[in-house]
Amino acid sequence: MGIQSLNIAVVCSSNMNRSMEAHAFLSKKGFNVKSFGTGDKVKLPGTAVDRPNVYEFTSTYEEIYQDLQNKDRNFYTQNGLLHMLDRNRRIKLRPERFQLSKDKFDVVVTCEERVFDQVLEYFEGRFSEDNAMVHIINIDIQDNHEEATLGAFIICELMTVMANADDLDNDLDTLLATYEHKWNRTLLHSVAFY
Amino acid sequence: MMLGAGDGSRRSAAAQFFMDDDDERTNQEKVVKMLNDATVTIDPAVKVQNLERVQYILLKQEPELLDKFIQDVVAFQNDKNGDVRKAVINFIEELVKKDVNLLPKVILNIQTLLQDNAPQVQKRCIQCVTTLYRLGLEWLAKSTSVSEDMSRVWTMLNNMKAYIINMVDSDNNALRTQIIKFVETIVLLQTHPDPDSVKRENDFSLDDVPLTLKVARRRKLEEEALTVFDLMIKFHGSSHISSANLQGCMRSLTTIAKLRPVFMRRVINALETLHLNLPPTLTKTEVSSLRKNLKIQLLGLLRHPSSIEYQHNITTLLTDLGASNSEVNKALPRADEYRKRTKKSAPEEAPASKKSRMEDVSPVAAAIIEPDASAVDITEAFILERLTPELAASLVIAGMARLPDTMPPVFSASYTPIAAAGTEGQIKHVSRLLATQLNAVGLGPGASIAKAKASVPRHAIVDDDDDEDGAVSSEPVATVLDEQGLEDDIIKGYPAKGIKLEISKPLSSDVRENLQTQAILRILNSQESAISGGVSVIRGKILASMAASFGAKVRQTILKFVLKDLRSQMNLALSWMYEEYSFMQGFTKRAPTQVDDQKYYDSNYNILICSFLNTVISNREMKDRDAILSRIVLEMPLVTDDAARILKEFSTTEVLGLDLINKIILNRPPKERMFLQVLLNNTCHQTPEIRETAISHTVDLYLRDDLRPIIEERALGYLNYLKYPRPAMELFGPELGRPFRSETWNDDCTKACLYLYLSLLPLSQELIHGLAVVYVATVPDVKRTILRIVEHPIKAMGMDSPHLLKLVESCPKGSETLVTRLIHILTDKAPPSPELVERVRELYQTRVSDVRFLIPVLNGLTKSEIIAALPKLIKLNPIVVKEVFNRLLGSQAGDNNYASPIAPSELLIALHVIDPAQCELKTVIKATSLCFNDKQAYTQEVLAVVMQQLMEVTPLPTLLMRTVIQALSLYPRLIGFVMNILQRLILKQVWRQKKVWEGFIKCCQRAQPHSFQVLLQLPAQQLKDVFTEAPDLRQPMLDHIMEFTENQRAHIPDSIMDVLNTPATPPPVFTIKDEPVSPPHKIMPSISINIKSEPYDESISSYSQPAPPGLE
Repeated sequence: MGIQSLNIAVVCSSNMNRSMEAHAFLSKKGFNVKSFGTGDKVKLPGTAVDRPNVYEFTSTYEEIYQDLQNKDRNFYTQNGLLHMLDRNRRIKLRPERFQLSKDKFDVVVTCEERVFDQVLEYFEGRFSEDNAMVHIINIDIQDNHEEATLGAFIICELMTVMANADDLDNDLDTLLATYEHKWNRTLLHSVAFY
Repeated sequence: MMLGAGDGSRRSAAAQFFMDDDDERTNQEKVVKMLNDATVTIDPAVKVQNLERVQYILLKQEPELLDKFIQDVVAFQNDKNGDVRKAVINFIEELVKKDVNLLPKVILNIQTLLQDNAPQVQKRCIQCVTTLYRLGLEWLAKSTSVSEDMSRVWTMLNNMKAYIINMVDSDNNALRTQIIKFVETIVLLQTHPDPDSVKRENDFSLDDVPLTLKVARRRKLEEEALTVFDLMIKFHGSSHISSANLQGCMRSLTTIAKLRPVFMRRVINALETLHLNLPPTLTKTEVSSLRKNLKIQLLGLLRHPSSIEYQHNITTLLTDLGASNSEVNKALPRADEYRKRTKKSAPEEAPASKKSRMEDVSPVAAAIIEPDASAVDITEAFILERLTPELAASLVIAGMARLPDTMPPVFSASYTPIAAAGTEGQIKHVSRLLATQLNAVGLGPGASIAKAKASVPRHAIVDDDDDEDGAVSSEPVATVLDEQGLEDDIIKGYPAKGIKLEISKPLSSDVRENLQTQAILRILNSQESAISGGVSVIRGKILASMAASFGAKVRQTILKFVLKDLRSQMNLALSWMYEEYSFMQGFTKRAPTQVDDQKYYDSNYNILICSFLNTVISNREMKDRDAILSRIVLEMPLVTDDAARILKEFSTTEVLGLDLINKIILNRPPKERMFLQVLLNNTCHQTPEIRETAISHTVDLYLRDDLRPIIEERALGYLNYLKYPRPAMELFGPELGRPFRSETWNDDCTKACLYLYLSLLPLSQELIHGLAVVYVATVPDVKRTILRIVEHPIKAMGMDSPHLLKLVESCPKGSETLVTRLIHILTDKAPPSPELVERVRELYQTRVSDVRFLIPVLNGLTKSEIIAALPKLIKLNPIVVKEVFNRLLGSQAGDNNYASPIAPSELLIALHVIDPAQCELKTVIKATSLCFNDKQAYTQEVLAVVMQQLMEVTPLPTLLMRTVIQALSLYPRLIGFVMNILQRLILKQVWRQKKVWEGFIKCCQRAQPHSFQVLLQLPAQQLKDVFTEAPDLRQPMLDHIMEFTENQRAHIPDSIMDVLNTPATPPPVFTIKDEPVSPPHKIMPSISINIKSEPYDESISSYSQPAPPGLE
């Protein structure tokens, strides 16, 4: 048991805000954690609602940082994007797409239902190899800085409890029900196999 | 949670880096150190870490060290800490993945770990076994030959499989989820993919299992997969399943459907049912997770080409689950492909596509899927027809009363507004929902049809199951309906109608059994209508499978029916037999609930055929009894030991039984040895018909090379019993018709030992030598029987048989009588062959000087040999002597196509010239009498020749005159010739030989008056002698002379006349003695009359009281 015993993936849409916030937080707490996005592209808000910044998953955080800085340094400093990218580039090189990852996890935490669906779809589309069980848990987090920070706390709390469970696979149902009640949030849960 | 493989290697890589820095020790030393550390430390984390490092070194860096350390690593499986044990499992899994040949080394450890106390370890172990099972099967399939190790591993894997599947009811939730995954793997591995299957890398399926693999038969594997799949569906549909289990199960089912589209229909049905009957125990969140998952699974299925026919069902479900049109459309296959496929299937929707569905589905799976499918379809059509707005309204009203007080969470979570209420599609959808519900509780026309028809046996198989589950399961169904299905419909405006009916309780077992029996009886009695309807084959099949798989009562009913008229129910009986046989052999699987009673069911086949056999056997009046029996016996798939015993007993009482046995031997090679013994046992049966039938069958079989040694051995075995002083136990017993043991050898038991042997003799002549050996050792009684009984076979062998000749040649000491008998038999009707004669002669001259040997071959000997043997021959028993003469004179040979080497005259002469020193005269006389008796051989002429020739012999043979007298008495016409002889004897001065002279006188006495002329020629002295001997001659002779003319009388010398006129006193004895023979004084009767009147008497008296002249 213990914090180290779980391999965790935190997944949001673009692997920018919510997942990276949780990644940073959990890493600090000593978890084995990775973060991913599930979208086709990395999307960041632009200067107008209909003009988002879109990047490939191959771009590094550094490149995006530079790009945004060049586009409108002031605006992006104001809305906190550059700060976020700065944090991200210290954690890892570039955003990663969950569907392309070869790693295997014990728990996959998704940050919104659409992402949860995509993760399920991903598992639905692949065939299991070594039949290792994986839990997919969705915790809805709104895509802004405050909620992301709050979300990271919640995820951390949940992960700590899970990591210390005697028989996680068996107890998870009860555990989730307890926390659902406590936080008054809907926690979707599914089981898949690697 | 256990570390994933990727993670393990990642860490180990780091560790290895660290260690390379650490020091320069070799890998082996490192491994040793780490293992030691792991053993010593108390910190489980260190242990796990060390084990991971060791695993990395052994598997990735230095595989050559592997062998050395496997056991050391695996030894940690006994560690107290679960994580350490999991690390060991991980090691084993990776190890086998790397080299499957190591599987036999670690399989035992895995088996131990599978029974671990900690569920986490067990779970990890099941996960590992999932991989190992697959690898193991692949390993078997790919190897060219299956070693002992392999089959052992396979057996253990199978045991583990059974163990794991049994754990499916475990309390541990996660364990169950893992087991479902395992079951999924089994289904995928052990079924065939079809062209529509989604391809995946390294997909291993039944197609890859070679047909030649003995330990894992394709068909068995597939059957198992189907059973296991059923289990999964059942699990999936169970009402108290947990969310995680359900999701896992759902996922597994869709995976199966995609990879093995054969199961598509059932999977979609299961998902449909699930959607309508979500387990009531789930929380709101769980329900939404589940619906989400279900949606995704369905979308996945929709993309799959095989789901085209169920598109309608799936899209309806998806709409219910809240999928948007765009989502659904995105998942639909491309339009052209759709068209291509729909052209193939009927343009109509669900009900009409039934046919095309059948084409796609493999026959095995189709049989399972079909009844269920059509039942829902039929009910759906039924409801659709009747679902008018009025009916819908009244259903809603009726359902209102049953609404719960509060809205169940499930409902609010799953409720979606109805987009197209009242449209045709929607009505159809509601019909289908109702149909599914109705069908689930066994109501509606579809369900009843399905039940009445093909599903009867299926239903019966789960019959026992119903007893236990019935009460429990009917309850939840009702609950679910109340809470969910019903309200769902009510809100939509289409209440369910059949709700009240669903409250019906399960029937009591008595009533059910009764109904069952009655149903069976109806089927049984419907034979004629079945034939006229053209479904008699199906009827037979139904009955057979019901008989085989239902309970005892049904069995009894059908058995009674069949036995009542077995002749016309023969086909049913046979198919029943085969059905039972399939169960016994495991070709057909029992329902899971019956598996425990395997032993009981295995005996069913045996009981069945035995009762068939017993019935036919005991009913002697049955028509076509033999045909029925032989059909049963030849067509039954397996002759069990009990059946064999029945047949064996039957064969000892009736010939029919033996015919059956013979047929079995001819047509059922696996049992031929066993039944051959039965046949052989009966070859010494006391009852002639049975014995002869048995022997004739045996003799037929004897021509087969493979059975020959067995038959021969048995025949010789019986033969050898004869050597014992008392008859052997084996010859007695009620089954042989000789219930009591006899203490001595009587005729019966001697023969019993010989029947078979003697029947084989003509076929296999070398066996004859055995007989000779045994003959020597037997008691006299047995010897006699042998001599008597041996005739036929020996005749059949013929005298050209080289083995017979060899036997004659070797003639073991003590078996002379036997050999003599053999030769006798051989020459009885035919002349001896030169070879035989040669052998006998050889034997006679060199070893056995018993003249009796020669008798049978007399005719083959040369004349001189016969003459040489003659003195010995005539000394034998009179009957034998007679036989000898018969042979020599050829009177016995019916066809007379061979000539005796010695002519009758020569024989008689030879007898006369026998040296009296060699043989008593008396014996010779007897012999000659025999000759005279044979009037065919000794005609008048022959005798004349004999006499003529005897005259030439010097000295005259003693018996000459006796022969002359005899000849004369037989043939009076020889008188002239005899007189001539007498005259010539006078010339030969016959009086010099006393005996002959006496005979001469006697002859003259008999031949008077013809002899007077001869007597006159005697010198006076001799004439006087004559009168002294036979005074009665004088007066007649004198009278005779007196009748002469004077002239004639003048020629008589005076000396003679003197003798004639001098009377002599005759010795009284002599007179008395001759009285019967001498003619009366007065009358001059013609001698011919006198002799003719009693020729026989004379000849008889001549050998009954042999008093030859001159012998007194």
